[in-house]
Amino acid sequence: MAEAPALEIRDLRFRYAGSAPGAWVVDVPALTLARGEQMLLTGGSGRGKSTLLQIIAGLMDPSPARGAGEGSCGVVLVDGHNIHELRGAKRDLFRGRRIGMIFQTFNLLHGFTALENVMAALMFSQVPAREHRERAGALLRRLGIDRVDAPPERLSVGQQQRVAVARALATGPVLVLADEPTASLDPENAAAAMDLIQGACRESGAALLCVSHDPAMAARFERREELSTLGRSVAVPEGVLGGIGP
Amino acid sequence: MTDFTIIFRSLAARLFSTATTVITVAVAVALMLVLLSMRDAGRKAFERGSGNMHMLVSAEPGSMVSVLNSVFYADAPDRSIPWATYEKIAEHWALDPESGGFAIPLQIGDNYRGLPIVATTPEFFTRFEPVAGHPWRLREGRFFERPWEVVVGAVAARQAGLRVGSHIHLTHGADERGHEHHEFGYDVVGILEPTGSSHDRALFTDLISAWILHAHDRREREGLVEAAHHHGEHEAHSHDNPGTTEADLLPSDRKITGIYLRAATRPGAAGSAAIGPLFAELRAQSGLTVADPVAEIGNLFAIVSNIDQILIGMAAVVLVSSGIAIMLALYNSMEQRRRQIAVFRVLGCSRGRIFNLVLTESAIIGLLGAAVGVLLSVAGSWAVAAALRQRVGLVIEPRLGLDWTLYVVAGTVVLAAVAGIVPAVMAYRTSVANNLRPLG
Repeated sequence: MAEAPALEIRDLRFRYAGSAPGAWVVDVPALTLARGEQMLLTGGSGRGKSTLLQIIAGLMDPSPARGAGEGSCGVVLVDGHNIHELRGAKRDLFRGRRIGMIFQTFNLLHGFTALENVMAALMFSQVPAREHRERAGALLRRLGIDRVDAPPERLSVGQQQRVAVARALATGPVLVLADEPTASLDPENAAAAMDLIQGACRESGAALLCVSHDPAMAARFERREELSTLGRSVAVPEGVLGGIGP
Repeated sequence: MTDFTIIFRSLAARLFSTATTVITVAVAVALMLVLLSMRDAGRKAFERGSGNMHMLVSAEPGSMVSVLNSVFYADAPDRSIPWATYEKIAEHWALDPESGGFAIPLQIGDNYRGLPIVATTPEFFTRFEPVAGHPWRLREGRFFERPWEVVVGAVAARQAGLRVGSHIHLTHGADERGHEHHEFGYDVVGILEPTGSSHDRALFTDLISAWILHAHDRREREGLVEAAHHHGEHEAHSHDNPGTTEADLLPSDRKITGIYLRAATRPGAAGSAAIGPLFAELRAQSGLTVADPVAEIGNLFAIVSNIDQILIGMAAVVLVSSGIAIMLALYNSMEQRRRQIAVFRVLGCSRGRIFNLVLTESAIIGLLGAAVGVLLSVAGSWAVAAALRQRVGLVIEPRLGLDWTLYVVAGTVVLAAVAGIVPAVMAYRTSVANNLRPLG
């Protein structure tokens, strides 16, 4: 039996409550991301890229379909499971175990050490508690963090990014969602961060869906999609992304 | 890393707020425990003083006053009982040692540095037990055997710095500003073990010397002996040549202020069928007040318990206020913690677990406050006990009952958990999407 893709989206639509009918913030007829595949999703600010990631992560639900009994608009399958059919703690645990998230501002936990930031992700995994420390430490060291007991605020921006990547990959997710991961970095650090994220995902076998409006990112991804044409078989012309080819 | 790591890191991140909230709870818990422990200890202290006596006979105007003055040494009794009356009572009721009963005379009226002097007979130590079932024990020396010897209670010895061999002069009246009987000196011959009763702060001597002391005052007034000389003149053992001896005592000099009575009982029995008739007959005699110390203490606590309940009610209000302080501290912290909560949600933490984390954090603040409060209450109880001993002379040994301590600690934890419900609901409802920037 063939393995399910890391991500599969069908007929996904979302609009905020109270907005005009048809004013979809997210409208994705189809999208499939194979295991280990890496894809860049582009689009201007406020076009719903982050909203799409939060729907994929199960943090938001797709809009309900019109009429009673029609369910919600669209299906999001992560590792073959419809995340929106899971309720409450089951959905949260599923997200913690199958999906890693990387943010622009890293969102590291202050008051906790770098090691504990990674262990925090393992708390909700199926990894036995006695292995958490060793596993988190090894992951951090592999990503070049030796001061594992230092609080994040005492690490450089680049090191904080590494801790965030380690945390996203700690549970061995099938899918990593990166939301503008380089937006707060200078070009040199941005390139290093992307090297790290892409390399780590490749190494762990996780698929990567990276959202960015940075034209310089295009060269890094073989597969690039523009949110407004996603699932409509319209590839993003290279010129739109500043003429930088893969 | 466990849920408790998250909780303790959260508490440590807001150290000042956590510390002040814990202290607020601790003070409230300590206040409650001090009141409860002092109430129990106070009752026990009062119950101990009357020991194995069945009744107290005096010439005081009321039973309660009689017990307070003659058992708890609140003040010197105003009225006296002639010795002849005592002899009749003792003889009529055959209160001899063989019957298990006793009639022990006391004269209370002088003091040593504010500590009460009890003039009595040696039976006070051999028959009367300050705590029923626990006879007197000497820490040092012996009981008095002859006039001008004094035995000192444990607290009195410590407060006055007395030891066996000390030589003292008594002061007339219950107030230490009264005139000193410096013509007559007393030798300390024994120091008692503590009993936890009011008697620990008294000094005990024999009746003959007390009568001589006051007869000498009378004879001075009557001009039969020379007026007192300078204080230091007869400092050492001046009772050798005082000018008044037992032979000079008139029947009117031989008076007492109270009688500790125990009716004849079978060995090992606390009560006796003879108590009722004895009580009734003595009460029928004019000029005598017969008090049942246990009943009077019960009456006293019935009055005091109303005040107790008000104070404990106020302490409960303070405790509830401390719960509100916990709620406010956590509520205010929620604004800063929304992002952290959102991150934990992204990592796989459920809303329910977030709710429980905040509720547990609140309960832990309550538990820490309660633990510090228990320690504070121990110190507070001893401070209050010391103040009571110093100011009122009531010997109280504050002991925190395990049951009450557990109730208060458990109640505080539950209260704190309840106080955490509002912040926990806030945490539960924290929107992950709205608290993870940047949003598209």
